[in-house]
Amino acid sequence: MYFFTFIFRNVLRRPVRSALTGVGVMLAVGAVVALLGIAQGFERSFAELFELRGVDLVVVRAGRTDRMTSNLDEAIGERLAELPGVQSAIPGLAEVVSFPEAHLIGVPIQGWPLDSPQFDDLSLQSGRRLRPDDENGVLLGLVLARNLELTTGQSIEIEMEPFEVVGIFESFNVIENGSAVMSLSRLQTLMDRHGQVSGFQVVLTPNDDKEVLRDRVRTAIAELRDEEGRPLKLEALPTRDYVDSVVQIRVARGMAWLTSSIALLIGTVGMLNTMIMSVFERTREIGILRAIGWRRGRILAMILGESLLLCSAGAVAGAVGAVLLTRWLASFPAAAGLMAGTISPAVILQGFVIALLVGVFGGAYPAFRGAGLSPTEALRHE
Amino acid sequence: MSDRPVILSTDRLSRVYADGNVQALHEATIEVARGEYLAVMGPSGSGKSTLLNLLGALDTPTGGAVYFEGRNYGDLPSLDRFRAHELGFVFQSFHLLPTLTAAENVQIPLFESSHRAAARAARAAELLELVGMIHRAGHLPNQLSVGERQRVAVARALANRPAILLADEPTGNLDSRTAAHVLDLFDHLHRAQSMTIILVTHGDDVAARAERVIHLRDGRVWNGQTCEGPRE
Repeated sequence: MYFFTFIFRNVLRRPVRSALTGVGVMLAVGAVVALLGIAQGFERSFAELFELRGVDLVVVRAGRTDRMTSNLDEAIGERLAELPGVQSAIPGLAEVVSFPEAHLIGVPIQGWPLDSPQFDDLSLQSGRRLRPDDENGVLLGLVLARNLELTTGQSIEIEMEPFEVVGIFESFNVIENGSAVMSLSRLQTLMDRHGQVSGFQVVLTPNDDKEVLRDRVRTAIAELRDEEGRPLKLEALPTRDYVDSVVQIRVARGMAWLTSSIALLIGTVGMLNTMIMSVFERTREIGILRAIGWRRGRILAMILGESLLLCSAGAVAGAVGAVLLTRWLASFPAAAGLMAGTISPAVILQGFVIALLVGVFGGAYPAFRGAGLSPTEALRHE
Repeated sequence: MSDRPVILSTDRLSRVYADGNVQALHEATIEVARGEYLAVMGPSGSGKSTLLNLLGALDTPTGGAVYFEGRNYGDLPSLDRFRAHELGFVFQSFHLLPTLTAAENVQIPLFESSHRAAARAARAAELLELVGMIHRAGHLPNQLSVGERQRVAVARALANRPAILLADEPTGNLDSRTAAHVLDLFDHLHRAQSMTIILVTHGDDVAARAERVIHLRDGRVWNGQTCEGPRE
């Protein structure tokens, strides 16, 4: 018999209680993995939009807490492009629209200059690219087109104006697949934001010491002034910093951690209760084990082992459940354009680490209590 | 006492329980020779189990000391290790673990001495053979008769080849026939393996099997006429 066999038998002694405790841990770990997975998945997808396009800096309005609604003069792009070390500064306008009849709310719509290299990353599944003579042309991402049940050539109403779907594309990025793209000028007109953009994506010239160049360009951008010498109030953020600063992502991350913490607290209390009961019921047995020479450390290891075994089982079930839940959620039209439906191994690992912490915290007190029992007192226990 | 070396001794051993200020044992001084079969007798409340607990390093005396081969228990580096390697316990209520089979119960003390599962299983089989229980090795305690349970408990007590076997009313829950079988087993261990056995009982027929009997009365060792140790 292995030590683990003994631990396993002890856990199975009260199968219903053990199962219920395991379910509690499963729900806690499942919540952690699912919520963190979704939040990190969205964050990763958002970061990919810049990183996979080789963007080094994102230029937005300085001091703006909500980066998504940054508002800049499109003409600044020319000055950015002229800065030493800058290869290109690509303007972009990002807005969100809704399609209530399809129950789609908060669909991203992007305005790009027709010569933007971003179009090169879109793989057309049908139709064609936007042309200068497309007065009311729009490209739809594959997921958005599917959710709206539209094909190339059909018309769509955006902000109460009719548009023609000139093409349907597939991007490397799940957020873009759930979005629409039109020319920058058309989106500016549609949204009454003439001559304005949300920000610029800056690509630096190839350089051996990119860090130094990036810092130099950031400083230069921050010091830009208008013709009257007033600061342009620009902020150039490395892509990762930009993603981290987006309010929606920070809120999603915070909510995920808060909800997860509550779930974990409940899981820990459940585990604590189960293990205290288990130790109390087996007081005499613990006395016997102490009498026949088991060290306090082995008693401690036995009780903690039981707690960790329960948590590990709950963690496996919770992680599997979270993966399936995320996939299921991603199949809904409202979520399909926001989340990839996959959870990174790092998040699953985080879930397991947290489950082990639940096991340790939930089992520690009962384990120390059990290990601290005097053999004679334990043997007298009724 | 014979000329055999002393394996276990006590010097004015006392135990007062804090709850109610009960003096369970009062300056008891005894010596046990290596290989001796000793019975401790006395009525209920006389301090037999208290003495056994102190000899078994399960409890701490409030006065006096216990010595194993001349070493004070208080000077031993680890009482857990001492219990695991030098002492074997047999309880009146057997105290087998209900979720483990007979063979697995016998393996429990071996976790403190043998790290190999195969070695533990082999030793358990050897001991179950010794106590005539090998045919019931895979049975859970609730599938065994009380006599069988006690034989498994004896096998468990012998797992780490202890120097001393301590038995607290080992036949207390057994019918006379089954009790005789268990006592035969003790006789065998004493004769064949020269095992030191200290057995607590209140039965004359059980004590009659031992080489020597000491009596306790009101926590004092009684020599038949007067209690040894100072009177209060």
